[in-house]
Amino acid sequence: MSPAGCSHVNGFKVDNWKQNLRVIYQCFVWSGSAETRKRKCVVEEGGFVPDALKITFKAKSCMCHMCGAHLNRLHSCLHCVFFGCFSKKHIHEHAKNKRHNLAIDLLYGGIYCFVCQDYIYDKDMEQIAKEEQRKAWKLQGIGEKYSMWEPTKRELELLRHNPKRRKITANCTIGLRGLINLGNTCFMNCIVQALTHTPLLRDFFLSDRHKCEMQSNSCLVCEMSQLFQEFYSGHRSPHIPFRLLHLVWTHARHLAGYEQQDAHEFLIAALDVLHRHCKDDNGKKANNPNHCNCIIDQIFTGGLQSDVTCQVCHGVSTTIDPFWDISLDLPGSSTPFWPLSPGSDGSVVNGDSHPSGATTLTDCLRRFTRPEHLGSSAKIKCSGCHSYQESTKQLTMKRLPIVACFHLKRFEHSAKLRRKITTYVSFPLELDMTPFMASSKESRMNGQYQQPVDSLNNDNKYSLFAVVNHQGTLESGHYTTFIRQHKDQWFKCDDAIITKASIKDVLDSEGYLLFYHKQFLEYE
Amino acid sequence: MVCGTAGNKQQQREINMSKESQMRAAINQKLIEMGERERLKELLRAKLIECGWRDQLKALCKEVIKEKGIENVTVEDLVAGVTPKGRALVPDSVKKELLQRIRAFLAQHST
Repeated sequence: MSPAGCSHVNGFKVDNWKQNLRVIYQCFVWSGSAETRKRKCVVEEGGFVPDALKITFKAKSCMCHMCGAHLNRLHSCLHCVFFGCFSKKHIHEHAKNKRHNLAIDLLYGGIYCFVCQDYIYDKDMEQIAKEEQRKAWKLQGIGEKYSMWEPTKRELELLRHNPKRRKITANCTIGLRGLINLGNTCFMNCIVQALTHTPLLRDFFLSDRHKCEMQSNSCLVCEMSQLFQEFYSGHRSPHIPFRLLHLVWTHARHLAGYEQQDAHEFLIAALDVLHRHCKDDNGKKANNPNHCNCIIDQIFTGGLQSDVTCQVCHGVSTTIDPFWDISLDLPGSSTPFWPLSPGSDGSVVNGDSHPSGATTLTDCLRRFTRPEHLGSSAKIKCSGCHSYQESTKQLTMKRLPIVACFHLKRFEHSAKLRRKITTYVSFPLELDMTPFMASSKESRMNGQYQQPVDSLNNDNKYSLFAVVNHQGTLESGHYTTFIRQHKDQWFKCDDAIITKASIKDVLDSEGYLLFYHKQFLEYE
Repeated sequence: MVCGTAGNKQQQREINMSKESQMRAAINQKLIEMGERERLKELLRAKLIECGWRDQLKALCKEVIKEKGIENVTVEDLVAGVTPKGRALVPDSVKKELLQRIRAFLAQHST
């Protein structure tokens, strides 16, 4: 079976064969939906078939010319107007009698050659089939079909030159590697562990998607790429990230030096530098810093909606700001945590079933998205009232990132005190963000108070994949990370030491940075 | 290629078909016209992947290919070798759901 098809198609590939083939696909294989009847007639390349007619063709004429059946793997002759069953060999008879060698399967669009006695895959015909299917699906609103990866010529060359293959089994430890502490650098190591185990980021770097256009040797994205190579190399000895550290010092001066730093600050600084260095890739397109399409934005950037409601005219002023993480206040800080807004009557959301009194991540999120009265000393100029009025402000999620990072604000740096808040906050393995979305808030305002959890809507479901913990005090402490490998295996990364951990270990830990990954990803 | 002469042949065919197959054909026609057939195909496809049926079939196909050898195997070999088992492996829940969908559609669009 040659990938170039068979030679018998050459008799077919004459005159206006491409257009004829397209018409066959459009009328008999993948005809558009009823909605297309309302559209204008589509003029294609010289051919001309009104959309409404296409549906009628498919509906009324697709039956076997010998027995009338529309099932039994109906095929259409490519040389004349004849439909015949494949299972009952009606199309075979026709092919023999008329010496018409080619037929098309009306269910899947495959081309059958009666001389070769098999389906053939001609490159040109395959191309047409793909395009017509994509068009028809788009018309019907079905969306993009997932097509498997096919190697390009260059990739085939590379695969042949490099015959060594690595197999990922359930027990293999590929991707796990310790990191040497270069002097209080655990704040960097813990974030590196979380990033190297972010599935989408891993896929991006391991498939060499970064094309560097920076002249100097100081591209952090290149270094990140190198880091992934090290982690997935199969070496088990700890890696020494001195180049990464040097680049971080160069690009984020405030983190330079050997004192202890905050892991959360490092995460934001790292994402920022990566984002900036990625933007240089698409330098031509990056006119608008808010519409970057780099991998960092694709994975980490979400939209936070802020609604300010005037208490007098009830006019709402809305802004949406991008965010990479959500910083949550904890009970025990100097800002009051309890009581929560009305409606939060302790109902069980996200399966949090800890004994009463223990704060949950959901509690923190509810507090984060509650309407807050801004007080008489913080009046906002209302465009409706044209004067300064008291108002309430509420934050909700407009758009969720693929990876959501929650930062529990354990380090208090207020004027009076500097301390660490060690209150236990329980967090779930699976998280549904639906109650905190801007769209849910709209439904609540329209009277539907308690949103039933829609089990069919999978858009807002997240799974935990990394937890960064801090042990110690504000002045002196140590960071470690739990990361998830292969769906339900967890490992603890403590600088150079990697140990197996249980889910219980992870969920019982204090939690400082919590990384969640969207469960279901849609193709655009 | 002329596409306008299906009329007479269609009448002829209808006379030769049984009542049941006529009804089948009419339903099929309605499904295509309303675009429902494509949607049902997609729904079925997603369900069969979800429940692991496609992976099972893939394994069965691999067996046939091993038997016949990758250079010689034809689509017919695969179809013959895999169809009976494949049909049997479709979960009842999937069949039920598709039937329900079709029934609901017909109820909505009955003439």
